[in-house]
Amino acid sequence: MAEESGAYLWKSSIAKTGPKRRDQLAGYLTISPALLLILALTLYPVAYSIWLSLLEKHSFFPQERFVGLENYIYLWKDPEFWTSLWLGIVYSGWTILFQVVLGVAAALILNETFWGRGLARAIVLFPYMIPTIVAVILWKWLLNDTYGIVNYWLMAIGIIMDPFCWLGADHIMLSVILMSIWQFFPFVLLSILARLQTISPELYEAAKVDGASAFSRFIHITLPQIRGILFVVILLRSIWMFTKFDTVWLMGEGAGAGRFIRTLPVYAYMRTLTYYQAGLGAALAVIMFGILVVTTVIYFRLFREEADIG
Amino acid sequence: MNRWRFQRISNRILLYIGAGLFVLQAVFPFFWMVSTSLKPHVEVFAQPPSFIPHQPTLDNFKRLFTATNFLTYFRNSLIVSGLAVLLTMVVSTAGAYSLTRYQYYGREKIAGLILCTYMFAPIMVVIPFFILVKKGGIENTHLALILAFTSFCLPFTLWLMRAFFKTIPVQLEEAAMVDGAGRIRAVIYVVMPLALPGIIATSIFTFILAWNDYIFTRILITSDELKTLPVGVQDLFHSALIDWGLIMSAGMMITIPALLFFVTVQRYLIRGWGAGAVKG
Repeated sequence: MAEESGAYLWKSSIAKTGPKRRDQLAGYLTISPALLLILALTLYPVAYSIWLSLLEKHSFFPQERFVGLENYIYLWKDPEFWTSLWLGIVYSGWTILFQVVLGVAAALILNETFWGRGLARAIVLFPYMIPTIVAVILWKWLLNDTYGIVNYWLMAIGIIMDPFCWLGADHIMLSVILMSIWQFFPFVLLSILARLQTISPELYEAAKVDGASAFSRFIHITLPQIRGILFVVILLRSIWMFTKFDTVWLMGEGAGAGRFIRTLPVYAYMRTLTYYQAGLGAALAVIMFGILVVTTVIYFRLFREEADIG
Repeated sequence: MNRWRFQRISNRILLYIGAGLFVLQAVFPFFWMVSTSLKPHVEVFAQPPSFIPHQPTLDNFKRLFTATNFLTYFRNSLIVSGLAVLLTMVVSTAGAYSLTRYQYYGREKIAGLILCTYMFAPIMVVIPFFILVKKGGIENTHLALILAFTSFCLPFTLWLMRAFFKTIPVQLEEAAMVDGAGRIRAVIYVVMPLALPGIIATSIFTFILAWNDYIFTRILITSDELKTLPVGVQDLFHSALIDWGLIMSAGMMITIPALLFFVTVQRYLIRGWGAGAVKG
């Protein structure tokens, strides 16, 4: 549609507003501020981090020394690096799985007609809209081992006898996963809900006449319709969870057990700003980027059909 | 017949239970934040905890405004997010107009490039950004922060505005131009009034994004009087013993603007054109 109207303008502008050359110039002129800013503020820094990863550089002082691939070789032999990679996979794997399941379930429910639906939709999206720092202090208070309401309830109904140490070494991964699901599944809900609203109701009417159960209606009508958007949503969520910094960092900070949720982004941050090794930090960022590119390509290969629909 | 009706009623009940659970999990933590922020110090740590404060007090808020730098952080957040939105919106409105109204070589490639940068996560940009900002001599300034916010808001804002401009029929401005208006007049009098809701909604999403940022401020700003709210409140959390009542009142004060803005635009989100209207 947009392409058609564009073509229409293309022809008409030759006829009515002068030569196409002028239009081309105007087009370049109006896009250039945005393009220049993106080049200068995003693409140049990302390219620069590749160069930075080949340097030994202190984060605060100007000295720098070219060391070639030494940073990468160091990381290859660094057990911390492999641990943080594994922790990142555990964290993003579990959070993505539950975000998708809960997001789809919530979208199906909130797509039905019931009293108070508009309000319910707005409220369920709240956790996604608040600053991460607020989500983190909220959950640290809810999960506080001595005064937290969650422990109080669990003890009141007899599930646990002693206070559960949510932010201790053994359970902090569980806590940060729970909190991240709570904070981010509304994104899945929102995307799926927007798609569900465009499915024609006649499809369901026909299936109902044929006597299809709710479950088989979901499998045979809803699922094929949301496959395309699901493909995009899983891709975006994977990228964003694998590179999630603030939630994980803030949750681990001051808890004493932060070491047990030190995922790759947190490790990159610490190399840069705790150990002042900007070169190593940049190398970690580049590795992260590489992993994402490779995974995305494989993902597209595996699910090519969905990519076409989406 | 009866069985069918029973089935229908039990389906309704299940639906309400499901919706109720989803609403409850979203709302309870906020309720608990409000409740804690209104409790006097002793009651915060009371066992068993009270849901509704027995002796509600605004003492926590009073201390927040007088004993901490909260108001400075608040002002900084407003200034930096506001200017970042302004810069982003001017540039992206022009860019989106270009991408939907002019034909030129490489247009779709540029649109694709923008979509790619939309997927870049802050952590991949922030480390080189930090070093470059130091080299440029603008570390620890609001200017650096505004540029940083622009860098991560712009692709998303541009993408959203492009989707929005696509919904405005191009024939309308052509009609105006046939009637003798120049393109600039056609844009001001025909396109802008139609685009205004989209511009406002996009500005608000961008504002929320900038308002909520933690990582760029943490890394680029070192002096206390330049900090924005998320970083300022994190430091509050760290100082000495955790004063949960105070922290919860600070949390409320950051959340309220974000939620107010969100409520004004949420219908756009759910209606669908803005399904891509979120990031993070």
